[in-house]
Amino acid sequence: MAERTFLGFPRRSGPAGTRNHLLVLAINGLIAATAERVAGALPFAKLVATPYGRGQFGPDKECHFRQLVGLGASPNNGGVLILGVDRKSADDLATAIAARTTVPVEIVTLDDTHEDALELAARAIRLGASLSRKISSDRRMPVPLSDLYIGLECGHSDASSGLASNPLAGALADRLVDAGGAAVIGETIEWLGAEHALRTRGADPETGEAVVRAVARREASVSAAGVDLLGNNPGQENIRGGLSTIEEKSLGAIAKAGTHPITALLPFAEPPKRPGLHLMDGPSFSPESMTGFVASGTQMILFTTGPGNSYCSLLAPTVKISANPGAIAQIRNQVDFDASAIFEGRETLDAVADRLLQEMIDYASGTLTWGEVVGEGGECFTRIGASL
Amino acid sequence: MFHAHRSLALTGSKHNAGWDAVQISPGDDVAVALRDLTGTARIRRGEEVFELQLREPISLGHKIALADLAAGAEIHKYGAPIGRLTQAAAKGAHIHVHNLVSQRAQKRSGKG
Repeated sequence: MAERTFLGFPRRSGPAGTRNHLLVLAINGLIAATAERVAGALPFAKLVATPYGRGQFGPDKECHFRQLVGLGASPNNGGVLILGVDRKSADDLATAIAARTTVPVEIVTLDDTHEDALELAARAIRLGASLSRKISSDRRMPVPLSDLYIGLECGHSDASSGLASNPLAGALADRLVDAGGAAVIGETIEWLGAEHALRTRGADPETGEAVVRAVARREASVSAAGVDLLGNNPGQENIRGGLSTIEEKSLGAIAKAGTHPITALLPFAEPPKRPGLHLMDGPSFSPESMTGFVASGTQMILFTTGPGNSYCSLLAPTVKISANPGAIAQIRNQVDFDASAIFEGRETLDAVADRLLQEMIDYASGTLTWGEVVGEGGECFTRIGASL
Repeated sequence: MFHAHRSLALTGSKHNAGWDAVQISPGDDVAVALRDLTGTARIRRGEEVFELQLREPISLGHKIALADLAAGAEIHKYGAPIGRLTQAAAKGAHIHVHNLVSQRAQKRSGKG
């Protein structure tokens, strides 16, 4: 069979992009508002502005830096404009980004403008405008499907998720891995109750055990806080949809992992070293989870929902799937792919998965998702420790 | 085997007119309603479809007891345990947060 391709933006090093953003990356909360003015003056820019940037230490600081580097190095960026306060931290970040991507990276900091934020904005807009014009001449070309690395997320699940949408996402992941690509599922706490199924899925015994340990760490941290997970997960919308316990939700959620062996358990926001199916040890709130995926290099996200969930990644096109017939009728401008045929038994999982793969190739090649059309999109930084 | 349910519930026939709830894995204690149900449900189990008198209305996506289940019984869905019954549930009853609790991530008794 001929190698399957999509129309992507090839990069001189690393996998191709499914989009060609100018990313305005503001790396210190002091200039978040200034960064909004800059991005507002550049209609083709995407803005990611962290509210943090000082007073972090240890693993929390490393985790924040890893997220900034990963978002900057996303294959979906055609150029990056870093806005900072002090020159050194901006330079350090640019160096780390340049180690993972060859796209142009420009920097402006308050150090360069004698603390004048208006001057910073003026310089940044000029630099950004030049970058924006330059990258507009980049062209899509056929690139192998094996370049694609997708994140598999679920949000606002109901019983149709576990029965149809999540197995469909898993079947899509299987197809992508068969084509030489990569996929990742996260949300560690939603493996709780499904460890027995995941333990045996590791490519080697250590990977399976690492997955089980990651779940145990999260479970212990929840009970150590004296918190009853039952009041929090499943959430109210899950319960309305018929999910009663975290075990039930997890068993449905891990169907997103398909059937291939788990190549590796990734730390949060860490890129995979090899193709194949991956698990990421991370938080379960979709905005945080998906930012971890994007920072690890996913160029697309496949997002399953029951009743609907409008949230999308800013940098990675987010394809929404629902199998709930009532929801699909209700939110026509949110659901990109209708999987109700599986839920209602009208079509086989394999037939629908083949159709979905073709549509994913279209989205990877530039077709806009509903989220992109209506301007959804965010990136949300995870904190794993308190500030000084 | 976890993925057994794929071959049962999900590789369906041309039309689903014949059933309105499904037992996902063999041996599951519950079936899942595929639409809002009252009265008699037609449950698909593997390749067979059987009728079950419901004790109460069951909403789309919610679970139906397939047998008389005792208080304390471990309940299975996807071929795996999903919790324990806090009270007995009759065949055809609604199984949900009012009678089913997680066996995981329980609050520590007392503060340490």
